[in-house]
Amino acid sequence: MSKKISRLVIVGGGTAGWLSAGVIAAEHAISSSGDQHNQEFKLTLVESPDIKTIGVGEGTWPSMRTTLKKMGLSETDFIRECTASFKQGTEFAGWTTGENDNYTHPFTAPQSYSETNLAPHWQALRESRPRFDQAVSPQSVLFPDSRAPKQISTPEFACSVNYGYHLDAGKFAEFLRKHCVEKLGVKHVKANVIAVNSAENGDIASISTDSSGDIEGDLFIDCSGSRALLLGEHYKVPLRSKKQFLFNDTALAAQVPYANPEDPIASCTLSTAQTAGWIWDIGLPTRRGIGHVYSSAHNSEDKATAELLSYIERTAGKQAAADAQPRKINFDPGHRAEFWHKNCVAVGMSAGFIEPLEASALILVELSSNMIAEQLPANRDMMDIVAKRFNDKFLYRWDRIIDFLKLHYILNQRQDQYWRDHLDPSSIPDSLQELIALWKHQGPWHRDTNHIDEMFPSASFQYVLYGMNFETNTSTTSRRSDREGREVAAQLFQKNAKQRQELQAAMPTNRDLINKINTYGLQKI
Amino acid sequence: MSKYLLLSQSAHADLKVITDRGAAYGDNLMQVMTFPLEFRDIQSSYPIFFAKDSETGQFYPLALLGFQQEENLYLNGDQWDASYIPLMIKRHPFLIGFQQSSDAENGEKTPVVSINIESPRVSKTEGEALFTDSGEPSEHLQKSMQNLQTIHRGHEQNQLFIAALLENDLLEGFNLNITLKDGSNNRLEGFYTINEDKLAALEADALGKLHKQGFLQAIYMAIASFARVTVLIGKKNASLD
Repeated sequence: MSKKISRLVIVGGGTAGWLSAGVIAAEHAISSSGDQHNQEFKLTLVESPDIKTIGVGEGTWPSMRTTLKKMGLSETDFIRECTASFKQGTEFAGWTTGENDNYTHPFTAPQSYSETNLAPHWQALRESRPRFDQAVSPQSVLFPDSRAPKQISTPEFACSVNYGYHLDAGKFAEFLRKHCVEKLGVKHVKANVIAVNSAENGDIASISTDSSGDIEGDLFIDCSGSRALLLGEHYKVPLRSKKQFLFNDTALAAQVPYANPEDPIASCTLSTAQTAGWIWDIGLPTRRGIGHVYSSAHNSEDKATAELLSYIERTAGKQAAADAQPRKINFDPGHRAEFWHKNCVAVGMSAGFIEPLEASALILVELSSNMIAEQLPANRDMMDIVAKRFNDKFLYRWDRIIDFLKLHYILNQRQDQYWRDHLDPSSIPDSLQELIALWKHQGPWHRDTNHIDEMFPSASFQYVLYGMNFETNTSTTSRRSDREGREVAAQLFQKNAKQRQELQAAMPTNRDLINKINTYGLQKI
Repeated sequence: MSKYLLLSQSAHADLKVITDRGAAYGDNLMQVMTFPLEFRDIQSSYPIFFAKDSETGQFYPLALLGFQQEENLYLNGDQWDASYIPLMIKRHPFLIGFQQSSDAENGEKTPVVSINIESPRVSKTEGEALFTDSGEPSEHLQKSMQNLQTIHRGHEQNQLFIAALLENDLLEGFNLNITLKDGSNNRLEGFYTINEDKLAALEADALGKLHKQGFLQAIYMAIASFARVTVLIGKKNASLD
């Protein structure tokens, strides 16, 4: 009989390691009291006491709410301990012309999206129309006043409009660690891995550590960061660079305090285009995380730093800019040629990393660990099949991420070399070129969804395309169904306008809500 | 309108309080907060439910008086058609507040009485005097202050009561759909009640603890009070005539 898979070893303890540990342990119900069905199941996380976590991705997708809930965590504890706030989408400033243009990509889909495609009706309105996201979704009305997606009386994880989080990644890893160790029975070993020991079949039999001896396992999860200790260094699975599509390879990250501790906390990630990259601005209750991600081929570190400091000065004052100490991070945008090799699967930066334009880092950890948890092979024979399915799925997902991120760049009318280079057809994946050609005549809608668990729904493509004034020439393909839908659409536009007013009146600011959560907590029901 | 001032003989010697009932005095409330210590009296006339305070999200028990905003079906002109009037109705125009003791070492908060001088119940010509001619609190004021003390204990009791309910997962949301005799459908949302399945499944330890805290009786009285919804519907139907 083939060997049973019952001992899992996670190498690395950043957000990727602890999030994976939590998702997998919760699914396999290993409580510290010992689950009778799963006595044999052991999950060990080996974390180096010497390596500082890099803390990528302070933004999450709405899926994080389900992920936290499934792990048995309280949202109140999460908000308090991770100094988290609510993220309702992204605002893009200067991406189209660089001259005071902006649009948003809210998490809430357009009105009645499953039945009606409002995009062609919105296009037909021409000059009289409001911005696309404002016409079709109520959510962005909450952004200018930094309002929250829920009220203090809304139960944990429930919402009025869809949201994810902005969080302090370091605190998040610690929060998850506590829960994993105290509630989910995960064994935490603090030691450095000094050797990887192979079995006869080429699997990893065990890892040797400097202070805790050898640790055997049936499945090893590589969460060791960009170093990819197991998949990269041991198995030599190469990194596939995607720099030809997405040029950004350097980030300068800073933490900026609020001038006043009660200053508003932004409702979305603010992404502002620069001469050769863009600046992220993420509002936590205690500070802002601001960083400049750019292409080192198009910009010098000095000039990139100057752009970052100028942004900080403009939005947080002279003193904040003077105090800022940007930390430089180099990365090779791309992903491994495969993610699951033999009995080793990479999750997090060990699998790949790309600029955080649509906060794809943590969602990939959630998706990866969920698939590992759900499809955990019963025995070694099955593992190769699961590995193949895993690789197919995540290679597909990486391609879609690259397509979607690239889409943000190819509709620009800016003059800088970096932005012109992004328009060069050789820098655009064929799959995206085909989509763009298609969308010129029929905009994205449900038909563009090939997979049931597609990462980016067609609504996301709509928000970016029409946010950047893309023209879908529907007149040549005018359909009867569209004409009949005109009246329905008019009603939906009205309904949306009404909802915007109601939401704005009803929702507290993020600051008010978070203060109340700190004082009273959210109810579970 | 509300403007609460600390009650004092010197400032309020000439004030009177109107004790009549009526919408003009703010009695037209759809619901009012209640406390386990008055559940016995409340459940004989009113359904007891739970709701969240919109400012804090915290649960509190309430007596339901009507089905829509500003509807009190127990109020019939200047008559209140029930044998017991909830403490939080009777308290007006007074409020119990707390003052930090000047003795910093001690740090105790002492309850103090405030009066809403903009309340329609406050008058200089009609109603019950607050102070006697010799400047002593009147019998009416003494009684009001006793009520306020009870309310103060009630607030403390509610905190423990709600914590015990949540700890045992005993609250559940529910929607009440009511069809009236004119055929109209009315839907009550945002209220919570005792989850009887969860209650029935409680282990002896948990039940014993609730009993010791004095909350088991309160829980059963809240469940029994559900039958008063029929009384409320009857009043509503009668109001349609």
